[in-house]
Amino acid sequence: MGSYLIRRIFRTLLVMLGISLVVFVFVRSIPGDPALAMLGERATPEAAAALREQLGLNKPWFFNPANPLDAQYPKYMSALLQGDLGSGIKSNIPVRDDLKARFPATAELSVAALLFALVVGMPAGILAALRRNSIWDNLATTVSLIGVSMPVFWLGLLLSYFFAVKLGWLPPSARLSSSVNIEPITGFYVLDGLLRGQPAAAWDAARHLVLPAIALGTIPLAIIARITRSSMLDVLGQDYVRTARAKGLSGRSVVLKHTLRNALLPVVTVIGLQAGALLGGAVLTETIFSWPGIGSWVYDAISQRDYPIIQGGVIFAALVVSVANLLVDLSYAALDPRIQYS
Amino acid sequence: MKKLLLTALLSTLSAASATTLVFGGNGEPVSLESGNITDGISILVQRQIYDTLVDFKAGSTDLAPGLATSWKPNANNTSWTFTLRKNVRFHDGTAMNADAIVFNLSRWWDKAHPYGFRDQGRTFEIMGELLGGYKGDATAVIKNIVKVNDTTVRIDLNKPSSVLPNVLAAGYFGIASPAAIKKEGAKYGTPASKPVGTGPFIFQSWRTGDRVTLLPNKLYWGSKAKVDQLIIRSIKDASQRLNELKAGTIDFANDLTPDSLKSVQADKNLLAVKRPSFNVGFVSMNNRNQYLKNQQVRQAISMAINKKAIVDAFWNGLGVSNASFVPPVLEWANSSKVPADYKFDPAAAKKMLAEAGYPNGFSIDLWYMPVSRPYFPTPKPIAEAIAADLSAIGVKVNLKTEDWAKYLEDRNKEPGFDMYMIGWTGDYGDPDNFYGAYYGSNASDDINWNPANVETLLQQGRAAATQDAKAKIYGQLHELTYNAAYRVPVVHSQPLAAARTYVKGWVPSPLGSEPFNTITVTGKK
Repeated sequence: MGSYLIRRIFRTLLVMLGISLVVFVFVRSIPGDPALAMLGERATPEAAAALREQLGLNKPWFFNPANPLDAQYPKYMSALLQGDLGSGIKSNIPVRDDLKARFPATAELSVAALLFALVVGMPAGILAALRRNSIWDNLATTVSLIGVSMPVFWLGLLLSYFFAVKLGWLPPSARLSSSVNIEPITGFYVLDGLLRGQPAAAWDAARHLVLPAIALGTIPLAIIARITRSSMLDVLGQDYVRTARAKGLSGRSVVLKHTLRNALLPVVTVIGLQAGALLGGAVLTETIFSWPGIGSWVYDAISQRDYPIIQGGVIFAALVVSVANLLVDLSYAALDPRIQYS
Repeated sequence: MKKLLLTALLSTLSAASATTLVFGGNGEPVSLESGNITDGISILVQRQIYDTLVDFKAGSTDLAPGLATSWKPNANNTSWTFTLRKNVRFHDGTAMNADAIVFNLSRWWDKAHPYGFRDQGRTFEIMGELLGGYKGDATAVIKNIVKVNDTTVRIDLNKPSSVLPNVLAAGYFGIASPAAIKKEGAKYGTPASKPVGTGPFIFQSWRTGDRVTLLPNKLYWGSKAKVDQLIIRSIKDASQRLNELKAGTIDFANDLTPDSLKSVQADKNLLAVKRPSFNVGFVSMNNRNQYLKNQQVRQAISMAINKKAIVDAFWNGLGVSNASFVPPVLEWANSSKVPADYKFDPAAAKKMLAEAGYPNGFSIDLWYMPVSRPYFPTPKPIAEAIAADLSAIGVKVNLKTEDWAKYLEDRNKEPGFDMYMIGWTGDYGDPDNFYGAYYGSNASDDINWNPANVETLLQQGRAAATQDAKAKIYGQLHELTYNAAYRVPVVHSQPLAAARTYVKGWVPSPLGSEPFNTITVTGKK
């Protein structure tokens, strides 16, 4: 187990290194550069050339014959190995600071969205499987089909308009009301509000979390419901379930004791896969809900060609997905005794 | 602990009856460092914290005293002397004097300035853009910046310029506390620092991606703020800004989409606020194209585009059509000898196209940008409308687009685009700020047309001392460019803003941002 972990961590580091190289080349291969994006309508060729020079963008990517180390990638990597991700080209804000300030927001939103997806999706899938071809099954299947095909930004705006503007039940966007302030501890505002002894503020944060979590959680919900259903059906058809029933066990105990644990293995896999999808979905959700996370930040950086931010954001996202997948693999071993890592 | 107590105290305060004014911005500031940033929301926040040397009259592009109470040129406009306001202090208590002004201007202009932090990524590109370059550059307008005495600063120029005070009034050039810049170093202007100016509001906090909180400056030299707190929120999505306005979670907002106008007018709690236009959205035609190099073809195309119908359809009337290249506030720069621009006349256009030798028309590319800009909020449908108008006179249009950054690059790369949509938002109230951006040697080379007489007129305009003299020069430029018909001005749009009905005293500036110290919120729930 221990040696397995070390191997995994080592492999993750290699992946990070590969990703840093790929994203470095990739962002610089997109036509158009930060100088043009910064100057906008003012971008005359002369102005753009002068700005490129000032920003060091005219230096070679990998190797400068005149001075081997005076190239973009070696400079970036030597800083990266010291934990320095550089600064936003225009904002001069260290990428690390931005990640630190924004990741908790994205994490809180993703966790809330995943919880919503699990709490609604799993029971719906189980119910659909147990009452196969009933009205419940058809309803769950139809709703999950709609959920999967619903554009996140459209759903987000719809939710916001209906629940915030029309009904006035929930705030339309942001993480906190203008009158509320929470000094972050964990960066999860609901938690921090409670830790700071400000229940009203925690409640305010929770109310702000509801709509974006639903918008972001809808697609994973649909996927989880469908996987749960098919995996339940699969397990229900297994010999050992038939044996259990033949032994005269009640339907409930068959489902709870014999079926669920085995049926949920694929669902755990899906949760791991969803880590990446949630980060992707967060881009649109955060933009619509003015949610100060990393999704909308990296998205803006791409249109601005802000290389250090895109690089830092992508490397960090890759790290998050790797860690999530490692956790999934480890929980597998806990759920299925047949799986052993050595 | 002290900080905690203060926060707790502040949050209880704001929960009590203190008046908080909340603005819905279209994003978060990039940086709060003056002179180094050009995006709208950064400038809007900076306008609250900083004063500029010269200011604009409320709702206008005319100059008004700022940190300088008066300014005078020498006989030939090659040197300007600014007399500073006395007894003004920065928010950190240090004195605003000639040293502070010279420090700020020199940081931007002198690449060797010890506090310019250029080695750490500062570029101050707007200085080079508006004033021809930096210290020592052959093209730079500024030759020297001199402290005459504690309350007088003189700026010597390499060439005559009558617009230097207008340029320095632009929102980019807020005057910051030298002590604060020295103290914060290269992190000045980021959320981890405290930007310090002399303006009507004092910076309190910047919560990343979310909001900037400002407090009133009780010692402000001008009109003091009338609220206890100003919060500027980052709400990127325009529909969401409207939702927040309707829900009452923000008090006023900028940059709503033109199609929100009906929805705003239908809401009894909201008032639509029109910002005076200070931009131009236009279509450019490239001389390198075999058809477009013919003047009659360009004039025919200018007559074939139904600008009024386009503005009515896509701006809900929040725009001015059939105007010249400069926005309505600069109308004095138009000639009386030619119309502002070509009137819509498809029959005459078709006839002219036949005279030019193309009775059956031809086929041509029209490029539109993939992003929404203030002057073209919905570029694609506008491009489609233009294409439909042109097909009515036999010109077949192929619509094309590409990524915005690439678009900006390719328009200037040989051979450039045949026809393309682009625009401009002004920085200060002078025709040179518009004409100079798209005509003459400093401009984009997207149409391959830069005759000597245009260049001469532009130089004369920059040196002309009075508005009457300018009106004559730019009138000639208007005639020249009208007849040449390389650029068709489609619209001067009025960005839609809106406020809750209890917001009083907001006077939107044509320049896109204004200090909020005039606003009251009586009756806010």
